[in-house]
Amino acid sequence: MIRLSGKLRSALIIGMQGIRSRKLRTLLSMVSLFLGVLAVVAVQAGSQVAEQAALGNIELLEGVDGTQQMSVPQNDKAPAIVLEALQGRQHAVAITGAHAVIGEPNVTPINKGGGPIDESFSGGYYCSGYGSCGPDQDVAQGPPGKAIELSLNAMTGDVREFQPYRLQSGQWLDFGAQPSLAPRLVLNTKAAEAFERYQIPAQMHITGADNDPTPRIVGVVDDGGYAPAAYVRYDELANWLPTSGNTQLQISMAPTETALQQTLKARLTAAGVPADQIQVRTINSREHVGEQLAVMRWIFLGMAALVLLIGVAGILNVGLATVGERVEEFALRRALGTPRLLLAGIVLAETLLTGLFTSALAIGAGVLGLRAAGLVLSGRSQFSFLHDLAFPWQAGVAGVAAGLIAGLLGGFVPALRAARIPIATVMRA
Amino acid sequence: MTEPLIRLSGVTKTLTGQEEPRTVLNGVDLTLHSGQSIAVLGRSGSGKSTLLSLIGLFDRPDQGQYLLRDTDITRISERRAAILRSREFGFVFQRFFLLKHLTAAQNVAMALVNGQGWLPRRKRRAKVMTALEQVGVAHLAKHRPSRLSGGEQQRVAIARALVRDPKILLADEPTGALDAETGNLVVEVLRSATDRGCGLVLVTHDRDHAARMGSVLHLTDGVLGAVTA
Repeated sequence: MIRLSGKLRSALIIGMQGIRSRKLRTLLSMVSLFLGVLAVVAVQAGSQVAEQAALGNIELLEGVDGTQQMSVPQNDKAPAIVLEALQGRQHAVAITGAHAVIGEPNVTPINKGGGPIDESFSGGYYCSGYGSCGPDQDVAQGPPGKAIELSLNAMTGDVREFQPYRLQSGQWLDFGAQPSLAPRLVLNTKAAEAFERYQIPAQMHITGADNDPTPRIVGVVDDGGYAPAAYVRYDELANWLPTSGNTQLQISMAPTETALQQTLKARLTAAGVPADQIQVRTINSREHVGEQLAVMRWIFLGMAALVLLIGVAGILNVGLATVGERVEEFALRRALGTPRLLLAGIVLAETLLTGLFTSALAIGAGVLGLRAAGLVLSGRSQFSFLHDLAFPWQAGVAGVAAGLIAGLLGGFVPALRAARIPIATVMRA
Repeated sequence: MTEPLIRLSGVTKTLTGQEEPRTVLNGVDLTLHSGQSIAVLGRSGSGKSTLLSLIGLFDRPDQGQYLLRDTDITRISERRAAILRSREFGFVFQRFFLLKHLTAAQNVAMALVNGQGWLPRRKRRAKVMTALEQVGVAHLAKHRPSRLSGGEQQRVAIARALVRDPKILLADEPTGALDAETGNLVVEVLRSATDRGCGLVLVTHDRDHAARMGSVLHLTDGVLGAVTA
């Protein structure tokens, strides 16, 4: 162990001396290698950032990985069964979708059909964020007016354990407080933008409800959606929209809630819900996104590897030339007792250190590049994920690995040559 | 007389790879004791350097026997030879082979940073300075070779050979690139190493330098014999 340590230290010391004495050559090697390592770092960082961005949005829309989502079809008894089963549960939330128009009564909303505020939809068909779709019979057919049509998502508990909506302002729904007759709403950013742009009276018409409540907007979240939506406590919505057999429920559960899942299935089936219509799926966004990005990442990594190969050729070229110039030095070192293996180690140490220094530079450039991209682009909504984005450690590891592999490949042949230099060179000189 | 450091018996070496194989050493016998100095004289191409290569384990004899303190090292492996070169031998060459990007002290330290054991920096520095002092150039420790005269460079090279306290010092025409006065000084430095018990084999063209050694041998047509006149 001590001997190995001595050899390693000797190789590093002599390697560093070699690098210091041939700064220009080392620099040229680094220049030829830099683009290759930077390409690997950029591809790896880019794919990680893309994955994070895609995953972040998918988690908002679909749910966190591992979440169990149970869809309960319409049934007269189903809502009562579900509400009873979920009472007091920390890691299970039932959600139902409704449809609402906030603003002037009996007018055609600005976004008829509930679509994005800047896109005109023909309307007449409505889907909530939680999958319940149907003909939009209740949309007012009156004259155009100041009203926003949105999907209203009512939930029995805090859904953010499963869909981590990002709070933008105000506060999230308080499920610990007593329910209010004036439903407290949390808008998504699209709805908030619409309310900011238009002066909308605070009156809400809920499809299927007999009376119009006056909502209280308590906060704004980013839910990843593209159309206006609002979130409300289930019990506050129930004051105005009694639960009916038409209510379609979706239940989000933690992976640990297997017992609850079994109970719900059993009770719902007993209540007459066909077992094959109770669908449960496990959210697996990471794998889904990973599969989508993997092909593209491998293609780009292949291209980066080609660039890296040019860098390897550069190191190899410089390494061979350097060994050719250092024949006497290596022969002398052998005469002084340096083993062949250590001579090879010295050359490899130099190329590996060169690769490592280049990696450090490329990673530094990657960090600065990402930071600069964040500063320049994060103001645009489609690049908002770049704000506060950390340089992915996987890209750093890939950069170091690329530098070391390039150093190893580029230094291998020169190292062999150095080890084979005949010792008698010093006698014949 | 003490036990011999090295003993070569009937050593033969034929150089191949040329048009015709040429026998450069033919049945050479040589014994070197601790503190003994031997000069080897001979014309160019007579095999002096080949003899030194065999003694220094740069190469192996075709025939004969090579004993190092009664241990047969005639067919020693390269790995073991590297260890012995580091522990037992010191080498001084005609060209000084100082690395120009290193200081005098760093050049001397080369012999200590060779993968054969490890010395902490402080101990390494102390040994380097001792070796430089032995040859009288300690004050030049931080100078690079380009700032040193030929004689100073050769003395640094001798310090590099002495820094591991070798038992055998091999010098291949160490004064060949020096003027007479500087050459004398260098030979004196080499000879003084024998006072510390080191065996010395000096290959030279210069009869005056050879005369200052304990014994003088002449290599003629691959045969080593004592100088008669």
